[in-house]
Amino acid sequence: MTSALLQLVGIKKTFGAVTALNGVSFDLRPGEVHALLGGNGAGKSTLIKVITGAHPSDAGTMAVGGHPIARLTPAMARSLGIACIYQQPALFPDLTVTENIGLRLESTSPFRRVRHRERRRLAASLLRQVGAGFSGETGVHDLSMPQQQLVEIACAIGAGAKILIMDEPTASLTQPEQELLFGVVDHLRRNGSGIIYISHRLEEIFRIADRVTVLRDGESVVTRDLTRTGSAEGTAIGQGFDEADLIHWMVGRHLERTSVAIPAAGAPDRLTVHGLGCEISGVHDITFAVRAGEIVGLTGLVGAGRTELARILFGLTPADTGEIRLDGIPVTISSPEEAIALGIGYLPEDRRRHGIILDLSVAQNISMSVHTRLFPGGWLRPDAEQTLAEHYIHRLGIKTAGTSAEVATLSGGNQQKVAMARWLAANPRVLILDEPTQGVDVGAKSEIHRHIRSLVDQGLAVLLISSELPEILALSHRIGVMRSGTLTALFEGHPSAAQLMRAALGNLEPGDPPC
Amino acid sequence: MPSSSAPFIGKLSRFRFRHEVGLMLLLAIELIVFGFFGRRFLTADNGINIIRHSVEIGMLALVMLPVILTGGIDLSVGSLLGLCAVLFGKLWRDVGVDWPMAAVGSIVVGLIGGAMNAFLITRLRLPPLIVTLSTYSLFRGLAEAITQGTDAFTGFPESFLFIGTGAWGGLPAQAGLLLACTVGIAMLIHQTTWGRAIRAIGFSAEGAEYAGLPVQRRVASAYCLAGAIAGLAALTYTARFGTAKADAGTGYELAAITAVVLGGASIFGGRGSVAGTVLGVAVLGVLGNGLTRLPATLSTASELTGIVTGLLLLASLALPRLAAMADPSGTVRTEKQERP
Repeated sequence: MTSALLQLVGIKKTFGAVTALNGVSFDLRPGEVHALLGGNGAGKSTLIKVITGAHPSDAGTMAVGGHPIARLTPAMARSLGIACIYQQPALFPDLTVTENIGLRLESTSPFRRVRHRERRRLAASLLRQVGAGFSGETGVHDLSMPQQQLVEIACAIGAGAKILIMDEPTASLTQPEQELLFGVVDHLRRNGSGIIYISHRLEEIFRIADRVTVLRDGESVVTRDLTRTGSAEGTAIGQGFDEADLIHWMVGRHLERTSVAIPAAGAPDRLTVHGLGCEISGVHDITFAVRAGEIVGLTGLVGAGRTELARILFGLTPADTGEIRLDGIPVTISSPEEAIALGIGYLPEDRRRHGIILDLSVAQNISMSVHTRLFPGGWLRPDAEQTLAEHYIHRLGIKTAGTSAEVATLSGGNQQKVAMARWLAANPRVLILDEPTQGVDVGAKSEIHRHIRSLVDQGLAVLLISSELPEILALSHRIGVMRSGTLTALFEGHPSAAQLMRAALGNLEPGDPPC
Repeated sequence: MPSSSAPFIGKLSRFRFRHEVGLMLLLAIELIVFGFFGRRFLTADNGINIIRHSVEIGMLALVMLPVILTGGIDLSVGSLLGLCAVLFGKLWRDVGVDWPMAAVGSIVVGLIGGAMNAFLITRLRLPPLIVTLSTYSLFRGLAEAITQGTDAFTGFPESFLFIGTGAWGGLPAQAGLLLACTVGIAMLIHQTTWGRAIRAIGFSAEGAEYAGLPVQRRVASAYCLAGAIAGLAALTYTARFGTAKADAGTGYELAAITAVVLGGASIFGGRGSVAGTVLGVAVLGVLGNGLTRLPATLSTASELTGIVTGLLLLASLALPRLAAMADPSGTVRTEKQERP
């Protein structure tokens, strides 16, 4: 066996108090496709950033082609032949393919002559190598997504890349486009390149990977070989494992319900959604109900359409098909203003951009969605605002210098509590929580969980969107799973984490409830 | 710091406090220097003169403030003033309506002009800079077309001219209008949910939308208000000169923006106060007048005004930034750098 192209041992990386990578070991041999698998937040993206030099690792060693590397920078990574093909190609859409390749590969000195003929020849040869069926004179905006990915791959080959990282390359591809991409991957493998292949689609792993490593909670859990059967489709079989094992490794066994939620059976349906869809946000055919006093968890992979669904219900991207009922009455929601008036609140995923206004004070943020109630006639009442803010600072335990402190001065967890306080003050009937504990520390997280539970005890209906399975399992009465823009499963009982992961990946088994 | 008992001692307030005190000092220095060296500067007549000359720019600055607080800009108010002035003259002289009715007409025309800006900015989602740059040309062009570039409306009745030339208890008549505008805008911006929303939109339009604030309606209302007050300013302007011509208010939009920014408002939105804007107008008004009173600058006053205004504006922007750089703890709040 030849020496490894890339060897990582015991890589650690922390961001503040969050450990993203906790001793990951990984290696890549020439001529292999090594799949990297893991749930949301398992550490895949961080690992890629360490490999490409975007993040320095805190501990561990890295060797490229047998040579140890200390302090990798992005420029060094490129010169060592490491290239990453992202899901969304970063080409200039208004330039031609040849111009893009030239910009990527030629010298970046500000005053140099462009040798157009050489540039064209190089581009044509690279495009031939990746089997592209279009000319270098094509404008990039005329190319489909996979064609653009081919251009990216051509650039990587042209730069002499021997280590190619492909981050969910098939996420937005159609079946024939995928086949095209697999052909190129196979070609690269036979030429001796190593490919790190990240995908959520398990069938793809079996389709093209030679080895698979599963990451979970920042650790490399397992690395296994796959054996190619040599059949025409090139399908491989796992060496002593199958898809179920992969899912099990991704999820781990420690994920069980941490507390038994009180069933909300018999309570009236508060929010009912029937056949809901919105063309521009790619969400379609969603049907479910949330009862008063119930938390319905909503999980799925990143990009499955969960936030898009929340945006529809909050009037940010109004629905164009289907029906929404509140307490049985059909409603149309075409703006957040209307949603709030109807009693729907939305704690958005992106706290700093959407959830709060950093430059305004704690009190001004908390009162922001209750202006009409708190300030009749439109006249600000500083005393009333102060009282309201003090109430919620006390109730949620917000640590702040005072009601007039700018929210920017608070810690992430306390900012999130301010965002929560705004919706508690609005006293909604339905509250949509989108990743409510993302980026907050453990202490604030359990406090936020406690507040969510106490809200439903008061009869609120909560739709809880979270990528964290433990959070979903701990809080939800029922759990919906979204995939590719629609609700694919709704679990009434106590699903296991593995069942949820299967549903999120689209590998439903006979025992799982279809939606 | 017992901040709950002193809610106004926050970081933001401290910065504003410093900025406005700085402007007051600047104004005091101007008064001392011009009072000492200027000819007939510290006289009642000259005081009235300064106020008369500052009224239109003051009104425009007061309505430019909420526009800038939303993160927008309105370059068309000077041209709109000209268009309103011309149409006012047309209504009175050629259509033959009474001047009070024509005055109402002027304000309505201003409102329509502002509504046009508002429509293009909030419905078609076009950038305010480009929209109002276009209407800046359009409104002035219309004013010139109506007067064929040369026609001027004169001979207005005494009762109308009083607005621009008369006095009430020692104060110029139009000062009352400016005062009313100042009080009205100050209450709107600082004491109503409208002002709160305008500020929130300026800090983060997306954040305001997610909070359920009617972002587009609020932004639209700011441009409509700017237009209507431009129509009002057209009246004091016409009454002051006794004539309505197509070039009325040329360059006033830039003077208004200068006053607002000098007054401490952030051009990115969110930060700014009526007190700062009024002080900005005062500093610029006194400066323009004072320079013409200095014996050494009698002949070069207009050029000097431009130079000193530019330097003042740059200093007002650079000093807080320099202070922030010198104080890495970040207790001095300055213009945001990271906004697009």
